Amino acid sequence: MLWLCITLPQLPLEALQCEQSERPTVVTILEGSVRSVVCCNPAAERVGLKQEMNFTTALAILPEVIAMERRLSAEQAALERLATWAYQFSGTVILGEVFADVQRARTTALWLEIGASLRLFGGFRKLIEQLEAELGKLSYSYQLGIAPTLEGAALLARTGVRVAITTVAALRARIENVSVHWLNLDPWIPQQLQTVGVRTVGLLVALPRDGVAKRFGPEACNYLDRLIGAAPDPRPTYRLPPQYHARFEFEAEIHSTEALLFPLQRMLREFVGFLRARDTGVQKFTLRFIHRDAVATVINVGLSMPDRSSERFLTLARERLEHTVLPSGSVALELSADEFAMPTGLNVDMLSGATEQSEELGYTIDRIVARLGENQVHGVMAVAEHRPEDSWATAAPETRRQHLDFPDRPLWLLPEPKPLQLSGMPALTGAERIESGWWDGGDVRRDYFIARTQQGAALWIFKDLRDGSWHLHGFWS
Amino acid sequence: MSASRAERLEQLARLCRSGREGPPPRIEPSGSANLDAVLPGGGWQSGTIVELMPMSDGIGELRLLMPALAKITQGERHVAMIAPPYIPFAPALLRHGLRLEHFWIIRAQSAADILWSAEQTLRCKSFGAVLAWPSAIRDREVRRLQLAAEAGSSIGFVYRQPSAARESSPAAVRLRLQTDVTGQLSIDVVKCRGARAGMSVDIAPALA
Repeated sequence: MLWLCITLPQLPLEALQCEQSERPTVVTILEGSVRSVVCCNPAAERVGLKQEMNFTTALAILPEVIAMERRLSAEQAALERLATWAYQFSGTVILGEVFADVQRARTTALWLEIGASLRLFGGFRKLIEQLEAELGKLSYSYQLGIAPTLEGAALLARTGVRVAITTVAALRARIENVSVHWLNLDPWIPQQLQTVGVRTVGLLVALPRDGVAKRFGPEACNYLDRLIGAAPDPRPTYRLPPQYHARFEFEAEIHSTEALLFPLQRMLREFVGFLRARDTGVQKFTLRFIHRDAVATVINVGLSMPDRSSERFLTLARERLEHTVLPSGSVALELSADEFAMPTGLNVDMLSGATEQSEELGYTIDRIVARLGENQVHGVMAVAEHRPEDSWATAAPETRRQHLDFPDRPLWLLPEPKPLQLSGMPALTGAERIESGWWDGGDVRRDYFIARTQQGAALWIFKDLRDGSWHLHGFWS
Repeated sequence: MSASRAERLEQLARLCRSGREGPPPRIEPSGSANLDAVLPGGGWQSGTIVELMPMSDGIGELRLLMPALAKITQGERHVAMIAPPYIPFAPALLRHGLRLEHFWIIRAQSAADILWSAEQTLRCKSFGAVLAWPSAIRDREVRRLQLAAEAGSSIGFVYRQPSAARESSPAAVRLRLQTDVTGQLSIDVVKCRGARAGMSVDIAPALA
């Protein structure tokens, strides 16, 4: 087994907001009676704020610092969304724990078994390049580590060793001089180790195990063995859910549509990762904007053909969102989909240009429908009916190929026949009687004519034989 | 009358563009040899905007385009009508040879939506021709449609009020349509890229 570990040092902050703020911002938690800083954005770091700092100290340095409360549920949700996304790179994904304590708040991780994926992606470099390209778009800060053990990969990621270590022996040699501070142990253990002079992983590993177990507990001992590959490390793997459901809780209510686009974009990209992992696409998905004091706003986004492009999803969702009035600010956003279908035009470069073109047509129509509404875009078909108003119908284009024979008809039809006051009889040509029989309602008895106006326009008019009234029904345009 | 400075600049820009870009424009014959003789390229040319200004409804303002539209839909490309003033009557469209599976009606309401829809469809390579009836259109918007038509190599037909003939427009071809009491359609070439403006073409009536 070869594990790629992705650690997310800024997750407490990035699970709550995904656009970089220029204003110094920190995430804090209350432990006992002490409020401490869990993580800082770059602007806060620049003025000297640090994680694990007492919040009172932070306030003294920068009274106007923006403080957010850490929310474990948001971090857990973000981690699960990422796990679903990560599935496109590996069939074995393991979720790390979200630790509640300040010291380990920045160690949240997930693992991908990549030994099996290497050949599929064409080697380390290509796999990592693709993974980083996708990961970068999700706007998470991350570190990567590759090692044959889970804890080894995590340790390399945390310490910033960007070298793929493929054997246990190489791993042991590599971490020998790493400070015990980096180990994923209860925070008091490294402190005590320091005081007794055990400063590096190499020194600690060399100590007799029963001594370590006696002083620091069997847990710590087992951790060390799992780290260096001396003990197995079985963990439940993350299962891809059959339906997709993701939730993004916002740190504060979001009021502007523009600001909603950031989380929406990230969620759509994660969603596309899921679709790639399942090797499928969607024709519709649902967005639910959760409000504090109002019923959730539901937006169903439909596509004319299955797709899995986050850019196209975003364009459609954005179009719909801009034409939707949200009753109040949003506190969370949910994305769900339960029907999946393989996108047809995925390998456009390999197929004929026709697929590409129909995909582009579908995309254009989808955008127009998203903006104008479902019923505003349609085709027409002819219907074998005597009454002119019934001899056509709206229809979805594409499907029908028609061979109906009709007498000569005008290109424009009025939605309703319009009563005419005729002053003097115009020149009439092309008489045609249209009657519906007793079997057919019998409500139409008309004589149709082409009437030429003084200006030369040709009108399609009829005399209603039941009451002698004249009507305009179309134009020979 | 000499072309305005803006127009000359535009022609220059077009020259530069045409030198760079590969495919030559497609030409759809209008179905009338008289009209083809006047139109630049000898027919309706892809990548251009054509303004049509009929004096009234029912003078053949739509029939004029039917041969080209029929050919486009038969050639697997699509045609869209955006905000048509009446119902495009399916039995008549079929008689004119349109393949209805390639024909779209887009019921946009506001001027902004009409122009936006026209731009989207013109830009899409699947559409060969787009007919639009905007309630109002400004030079800047004609230029936008022009760029969209070039990108999608489609033809944009924009129907306007007859009074628009007095204003200038960046459209490549501008035709004023009128008819006499016999129903003969006469086409005044208000503007034509290639300097044949001022000519008049008569097309015999299709209806007895």
